[in-house]
Amino acid sequence: MQVAIQGPWSPLFGRLTLASIPYHTPILIATFAGVAVIGLVIVGAVLYYNKLGYLWREWITTVDHKKIGVMYIILGLVMLVRGFADGLMIRTQQAMAIGPNSPGILGAQHGFLPPFHFDQIYSAHGTVMILFAATPILTGLTNVIVPLQIGARDMAFPYMNALSLWLTTAGAILVMLSLFVGDFSAAGWVGLIPLTELPYSPGVGVDYWMWAIQISSIGTTLNAINMIVTIIKMRAPGMSWFRLPVFTWTTLSTNIIGLTAFPVLGVALGLLGADRYLGAHFYTAGLGGNLMLYTNLFWIWGHPEVYFLVLPAFGIFSEIIPTFSEKPLFGYTTMVAATFAIAGISWAVWLHHFFTMAAGPDVNGFFSIATMLVGIPTGVKVFNWMFTLYRGRLTFATPMLWSLAGLFLLLAGGITGMMLAIPAINYSVHDSVFVIAHFHCMVLLIGAAMFAAVSYWFPKVFGIQLDERNGLMFFWTFIAATGIVFIAMFALGFEGETRRLAYIYDPAWRPMLWTEEAGMMLYIVSIGYFARMLYVSLRDRIPVPADPWGTSRTLEFLTHSPVPFYNFAVTPQVNARDELAWRRDHGLEKTQPDAFEVIHMPCNSAIPFIIGMLAMAFGFGLIWRIWWMFGAALLGIVIAVIIRSFDKNLGYEIQPEEVAAMERNLATAGIIAEQPARKPLTEAEAH
Amino acid sequence: MRLKPILANPLLAVPALLALSGCNTGDYRLFHPLSQVAQVQWWATLFELGIMSLIIVPVTVLIAVFIWRYRKSANAKYDPSWSHSLGLEILVWAVPLVIVTICGIVSIRTTHAVDPYAPGVLAKAEAAQPPLDIDVITTDWQWLFIYPDQHVAAVDELVVPAGRVVHMRLTSSSVTNDFFIPGVAPMIDVMPGMRTEDTFDAPTPLSDTGFSADFSGAGFSWMQFELHIVPQGDFDTWVAKAAASPRQLTYTAFTQFAQPTVNEHATISYFANPTPQLFETVVGAAQAGVVYPVPDALTTSVASLEGGPVSAAATK
Ligand code: HEM
Ligand SMILES: [Cu+2]
Repeated sequence: MQVAIQGPWSPLFGRLTLASIPYHTPILIATFAGVAVIGLVIVGAVLYYNKLGYLWREWITTVDHKKIGVMYIILGLVMLVRGFADGLMIRTQQAMAIGPNSPGILGAQHGFLPPFHFDQIYSAHGTVMILFAATPILTGLTNVIVPLQIGARDMAFPYMNALSLWLTTAGAILVMLSLFVGDFSAAGWVGLIPLTELPYSPGVGVDYWMWAIQISSIGTTLNAINMIVTIIKMRAPGMSWFRLPVFTWTTLSTNIIGLTAFPVLGVALGLLGADRYLGAHFYTAGLGGNLMLYTNLFWIWGHPEVYFLVLPAFGIFSEIIPTFSEKPLFGYTTMVAATFAIAGISWAVWLHHFFTMAAGPDVNGFFSIATMLVGIPTGVKVFNWMFTLYRGRLTFATPMLWSLAGLFLLLAGGITGMMLAIPAINYSVHDSVFVIAHFHCMVLLIGAAMFAAVSYWFPKVFGIQLDERNGLMFFWTFIAATGIVFIAMFALGFEGETRRLAYIYDPAWRPMLWTEEAGMMLYIVSIGYFARMLYVSLRDRIPVPADPWGTSRTLEFLTHSPVPFYNFAVTPQVNARDELAWRRDHGLEKTQPDAFEVIHMPCNSAIPFIIGMLAMAFGFGLIWRIWWMFGAALLGIVIAVIIRSFDKNLGYEIQPEEVAAMERNLATAGIIAEQPARKPLTEAEAH
Repeated sequence: MRLKPILANPLLAVPALLALSGCNTGDYRLFHPLSQVAQVQWWATLFELGIMSLIIVPVTVLIAVFIWRYRKSANAKYDPSWSHSLGLEILVWAVPLVIVTICGIVSIRTTHAVDPYAPGVLAKAEAAQPPLDIDVITTDWQWLFIYPDQHVAAVDELVVPAGRVVHMRLTSSSVTNDFFIPGVAPMIDVMPGMRTEDTFDAPTPLSDTGFSADFSGAGFSWMQFELHIVPQGDFDTWVAKAAASPRQLTYTAFTQFAQPTVNEHATISYFANPTPQLFETVVGAAQAGVVYPVPDALTTSVASLEGGPVSAAATK
């Protein structure tokens, strides 16, 4: 059944040979050296401070939603830096390789990257940023915050939550591995068809791309199930639907999108796998295949996916703007309606990603109007945030600044999105850098929301302040860089520059390309401030009260900072929409429970981590066609699942006295505190 | 704070930036639509920008004003109870609805006007004089323009007589590309095993560059072609020149030509006497599974793309 592949293959190593290691590519050698040094320093530090056991017990095997969320965010931030490095290389190549006489170094004819390497970099950039940076960071944020906002102890399925994290991590590791073993896909983050078919992409690059996404998106789908069930079933008493914080609402709608959209991606990539591995013809041009089938399936996932990312961002703004305006959100009900309208419509617009495929004007017209309909609820949201500011008492801490900047980015992205939605306009800017600028306004809005959320909730989760001075510098440099890079990019779109050029044939674009490069330098400065912000915060460790901002409105700010591992000592009774604001207005926010109860918690488990690592081996085996590895990993996963199904672990209990003790000394219950070994309940105890 | 709306709303800043840099807008090819089709597209762009500005500009300004006016230190009126207003909430749905309705009408009308298969704006012109037919085939990574009625073909050069409507059929022998000449011809995908069409008018003489907009592999960045819109007399001369080419475009010659090649210096060449129905043959071959594989060597170590065709046999 195996299809003919170019190059050698052996049963033991599959397609892997010494030549797969890119030791002849200086850039990758340098990168490898850098990664190796950082890795050694981290491992060395862990061993030196004897923290291996702590890491294993408290983090790797944890099922605590906050720790899982934090690990998601750390994973996302690491991948964000990777994605940024890719972006920097793309911009630098385009700033260098202008015109036929531009010099080339490092083996490239123009610039410093040969086309095939450049193509891999921009393909990795998109894949990494969308699927391994933005998605994990937002998933992490919802993981940390939503159970707290609804007054729950944990997610509905804590064990599955850990499994989601480790599957996503497995995908991310595969993407990183492709740097040093073999190649990554050179066919765009969207997997342009039929370029991804075996005749045109004979190497392992497309396989890396395909399996990394496939594995991580199983994690995302499981997480979506978990979130939906958590929000439906785990709300504290009194938290009726119309008392849900808007961030929780957006999380719910986003995960409904996630649950329904990701399986489509799974099918789209699965059929591509059938073509590449079994010689099928789902997407080939000949022998009965249909290219557009892939393109449709991909965007049936792809467009909902962009809303999967943007809705939590909208939720974040809807939390932060009221807090720093000291007012409730304007038009709560319309906001919720708009959220679900956006989610609903996002299903019916996918064709706008290929208006130029020559569907008739009526088909294009239908999808054009469907697309523009999204503009209505989006507009409603902007108006509602605007009226929230009206007659408020605004203060401008970093979370608020990020949110306001996000609004302006949304306006810029929205107006350009509406332009792209008109086929007549689209026929002149599709696949140009105008589109890139459009969706980067949107994606950077999501970025702004992520940084807003991190600065808003960091003190809550860790119990220490996030350094404001460096945070402000980070904000301003980042926003200035965004302005410089993307104004220039819109201009280039009107100059007719198309995307994905490894070599710039029109020297007229030079001034704008160099402007962009200058903006990139400013981004580097902003990353420096970000790092310094983290460093200063961790060095100074200034403790914060339960509500670090003093004007927060929702339930998560009711419990202590840092949040104890059991979240709330006593499950709160919810009385109003903005519960904390309500309690503050009634002078109740400081009231303590009369008595503590027994708290029942789930035990940690190593199985999610093991399955994650096996999934990585499974992917690696498939990518390199090392069949024994693929089979063994698959068998391992099945065995792990069986073992877990027979696991009768019933969790453990914390007695009221111990809760009382921890409530007096909060540091012992915080996110970085080490917990004593807990004995699982026996069946008799659990009655 | 005041600078922010400008910084963060790039589109509003584009004209300002252009003015500031004293930029010659000649580089902004979309600002200078030549063909009627492109003029409709540019008109739609301006219209959409204008109508969206009706909503975006006031909102941007209002947000900026509110940020300034209601900052805590200004001690402006503070009313924490105001979070709902039925009238306003109806208005915030109604205003975007009206704008979207107008945009929708414009969208439908312009989509028909520039439909690549039968643009409404060119209906009259097409009725007056039959369009010039050109068959376009993309390979990895060159353009082949076949003139079935003139019995010539050109590589990486498209020459059309001024004043004529041009009607194209497009296909690809390998992967998907996207045909585009900014300011002249609207984009259309070029796909293997399939035929698409594109129609545009070429009113006045012009020399420019067209290209593929859709990424198609390692040679994509070098996939441009020259466009020359010339007076009828010059066109006839050009046809004669091409017809004098010693190379005959048989199907076998085509399969040689279609091997992965980066035409790095955009060298133009001609074929005489293209086999009749070559276009149909290529579409049929792709449907029957003929591919021109890209050799592994080209994808793994394209240190340099210098040099002519990379040899690899067409396989079935
Ligand atoms: C809300 C967040 C949004 C995000 C994250 C987003 C993201 C994207 C992305 C990633 C693409 C390009 C895909 C590709 O070609 O690789 C894209 C294209 C597009 N977006 Fe958005 N978008 C958003 C909102 C909107 C809105 C509100 C509209 C219209 C009302 C819109 C209209 C379009 C259109 C028409 C295209 C296709 C352009 C083309 O490829 O020719 N988008 N968007
Ligand atoms: Cu879309």
